[in-house]
Amino acid sequence: MITPIDFATFMRNYQDMVFSTAVRLVGNEAQAEDISQEVFLKAYEHFDNLQSSPTAGGWLKTVTTNLSLNHLTRYRNRWRFFSEFKRQDNSGAEDDAEIEFAAPDNFFGGLDSDERKAWLDSALEQLPEHQRVPLVLFHFEDMPYEEIAKKLRVSLSKVKTDILRARAALAQVLMRSGATHEKFNA
Amino acid sequence: MSQPNPEELEKLIHHTLRSLPNRRAPRSLEQRVMAAIVAQQSLPWWRQSFAHWPQAAKAAFLLLSGAFAALLVTIVFRAGADVGTASPLTSALSTLAHAKMVLGNISDIGAAVLRSIPPLWLYGGAAFVVVMYTTLIGLGATAYRTLFNHR
Repeated sequence: MITPIDFATFMRNYQDMVFSTAVRLVGNEAQAEDISQEVFLKAYEHFDNLQSSPTAGGWLKTVTTNLSLNHLTRYRNRWRFFSEFKRQDNSGAEDDAEIEFAAPDNFFGGLDSDERKAWLDSALEQLPEHQRVPLVLFHFEDMPYEEIAKKLRVSLSKVKTDILRARAALAQVLMRSGATHEKFNA
Repeated sequence: MSQPNPEELEKLIHHTLRSLPNRRAPRSLEQRVMAAIVAQQSLPWWRQSFAHWPQAAKAAFLLLSGAFAALLVTIVFRAGADVGTASPLTSALSTLAHAKMVLGNISDIGAAVLRSIPPLWLYGGAAFVVVMYTTLIGLGATAYRTLFNHR
């Protein structure tokens, strides 16, 4: 029998992971909270199996990723008419900026943990969706290029290009943030 | 400044992103989930998903559904047998003639209604619908771009 306390403990153990996965994919806290709620309601339906399963974290992450991608697809289709008159499939001029910076050993030599977290989260959110989503799937979810292309229903070459540009854009945002001021001007 | 090697950049970004701790979930999340669970549980069983129905109700539902399906199949087969006694061509033609008569009546009524409305009213009404439609689309797009689309 499921008791509310058992499920509450289960939720507390995983809610940060679920929310982080959702917010990094959708780039919006309110929407990520909605998605997280939906994930935990699904988890509650399967709690008999999940509560003792060693793969509960993986199950939650997969469900969160799928729901986030579904949400993005629905949202994109709904608002494309209003907001995206240019095709995002073909990267815009801002994507064509050359990658030009000195590669440091790490981006946050002089920052403490909280500042680092804030800069990175902000930099991720600043990326356009077509770059952020494959980047997050690749680096956070360890998804191979082929699977990302399949999930996003785009070509393999587009996924690789978007991720490459996302890395460059992320590096540039981080540089502009001043986080690497000392390193880059050294 | 130098052009970074893509592999080097990949490693650097990977290392940087993976060092990022999880974001803290909003305090409201747990309350929202628990409230939704309580709301779901407070629903009567017939409004919950089929998986949560009592076993007896599930069995009764399946039995009734089966019986209903069997009844439908029997009715269809009997009707088919009755129709089979008449010529299939005659039956098809009479169905077509009946459908034509119904459609003709509907179009006659529509034409009579249209004739009774002055043409100016019709054109004015059409123009009003077009203007309202474009206005609402414009307002919606402007509101979305202003309020929600920050990128």
